[in-house]
Amino acid sequence: MLRRFARDRAAMLGAVLIGLLVLAAVFAPWLAPHPEDVWQFHTPRRLLPPGPGGLFGTDRMGGDVFSRILFGARITLSLSVIAVGSAVLIGVPVGLVAGYFRGWFSDLLMRFAEIFLAVPQIVLAIAIAQTLGPSIQNVILALSITYWPFWARLVYAETRSLRNEVFIESAVALGASPLRVMVLHVLPNIASPIIVRTSIGMGATILTAATLGFLGLGAPPPTPEWGRMIAESREYLPDAWWYALAPGMAIFLTVLGFNLLGDGLRDILDPRTRRSAGQGGGGGGGGGGGDE
Amino acid sequence: MVWLNIVLNRLVWLVPTLLGLLAIVFVLSRVVPIDPARLAAGDNASPEQVAAVRHSLGFDRPLPEQFLRYVAAVARGDFGTSLFTQQPIADDLAARLPATLELTLVAIVLAAAIGIPLGVVCGLRRNSWLDHVLRVVTVSGLAVASFWFAMQLQFLFSMKLAWLPLSGQIEGFPPEHVTGLMIVDALLTGDTEALRSAVRHIVLPAITLALPAAATVVRFTRNGVIGVISSPSVAYQTAMGYPRRLIVWKYVLRMAVTATVTQLGLIFGILLAGAVVVETVFDWPGIGAYAVRSILQSDYNAIMGFTLWAGAIFVAVNLLVDLLQAAIDPRGAR
Repeated sequence: MLRRFARDRAAMLGAVLIGLLVLAAVFAPWLAPHPEDVWQFHTPRRLLPPGPGGLFGTDRMGGDVFSRILFGARITLSLSVIAVGSAVLIGVPVGLVAGYFRGWFSDLLMRFAEIFLAVPQIVLAIAIAQTLGPSIQNVILALSITYWPFWARLVYAETRSLRNEVFIESAVALGASPLRVMVLHVLPNIASPIIVRTSIGMGATILTAATLGFLGLGAPPPTPEWGRMIAESREYLPDAWWYALAPGMAIFLTVLGFNLLGDGLRDILDPRTRRSAGQGGGGGGGGGGGDE
Repeated sequence: MVWLNIVLNRLVWLVPTLLGLLAIVFVLSRVVPIDPARLAAGDNASPEQVAAVRHSLGFDRPLPEQFLRYVAAVARGDFGTSLFTQQPIADDLAARLPATLELTLVAIVLAAAIGIPLGVVCGLRRNSWLDHVLRVVTVSGLAVASFWFAMQLQFLFSMKLAWLPLSGQIEGFPPEHVTGLMIVDALLTGDTEALRSAVRHIVLPAITLALPAAATVVRFTRNGVIGVISSPSVAYQTAMGYPRRLIVWKYVLRMAVTATVTQLGLIFGILLAGAVVVETVFDWPGIGAYAVRSILQSDYNAIMGFTLWAGAIFVAVNLLVDLLQAAIDPRGAR
């Protein structure tokens, strides 16, 4: 399995990109040439182009863009891991229960999940984030509320198709409790699509989070959030062309990493859908790329 | 009968879905710490005036009652008035629909015109250099933040090269109103100046929206073609000595593109209701930019109106996709 993964150059590239992101996030204080620039102003050095002063130039406060990007990796990574983690923790149990049992309660659960899917994810996230007020915690909350139905729907469909398998029936016949069957028999058999979905979901979540930051709904300044950095750079175009370049590329490479990894994992874990009908819906304005 | 079942099944759930959607947005919009009555009354209003406005707008009633009143009004076709434009929401949305529709149509046509041929070539020449290059391009196209891509396009083509306008839908006088779609109206009335301006304005936002859409279309078309090509029917036709060209044009394409058409339908729905960020960046006077502005200004009635619009589009598009798939593959219909 590992060998097949190593041979898939695209998936390897994805893993490398994510590895770099994690390294940047963990070692930001040591890697950054000017770690103090995250909080301090250096107005004499403001809006310098890339050069000796800084790899990616400096921003409107004189902060080193490269240093701020590194610290931004911490925000992006922690935010998306917590948001996707909670979405999985809500969505998977809901999908399992709704898929395992039949009846009005299952229908109700799934219809409730479907309501969240009935508006574009980005709009729902903007609405929730705006309601709660601009902060990292609220962005995480908004993203979890927005994205949990994707896992619920996936797990529901997978559980329903497993429900009538002989090994599930025999486990039930042997007197296993529903909880035991769900956790020990169903869940391990649907882990692959959940893992693939989670990798691609990370990409979609990061795009949406960046969009929220761009609209000013993320962490307040001077937090080095990538989306917010791009928004700040807008009024300095076309002169400070480097200002938006680095954060944009950081978002791009991160999302690309998770998407490539997801594609590669699908090939390995789920041979039925080999790089096929899975990913889609990327048409949305800014991060619709997450639905099936 | 199958078709009727699908339609009925969707319609039965239409009302509960929209009601649930409204309830969620309603609760969300009323737990905000901002006082809507104060917003509506203006900055200089005295406490008595604010209280009067609160009473006249019904914000002093209990939440469930407010919600029921709202739903009852919607059922009568009254979506309320925007706190900011002071116009009925339905009028606001209707006034912005043509701009969104025009942008969406151009983006979809672009995505299909670029994506389908490329996808077919990739599917027919699997693992060729073009296939590999396009795989990289499509995966990248789905990973770019649209607002950033939009800004880079603006930087290059508007600010540096000065080839295209930075934002907006048209410069100077708009063409005479016929359909509301600027390009169509300009064509119909023979207004070449307006046509030129409208086309120049739509290029950048349309490209921004078309990039991820085209990437999706390429992927689906490619996989569709590969699926059909490796099917027994094509093996049979090849064995019977049919010319490859005939097989490709007559059988493979028609069968392969069905999944793509479904996908285009879904993208159409997503863009009609969700091109919010791109419209905002390009200052496009459509429904998406209106939605973002309403949310940022806590314009409740406008937010609810947009939510209803997005939900209705979602249900309609899904119904359409279900029907399409039932037509293409009757086995799948339940």
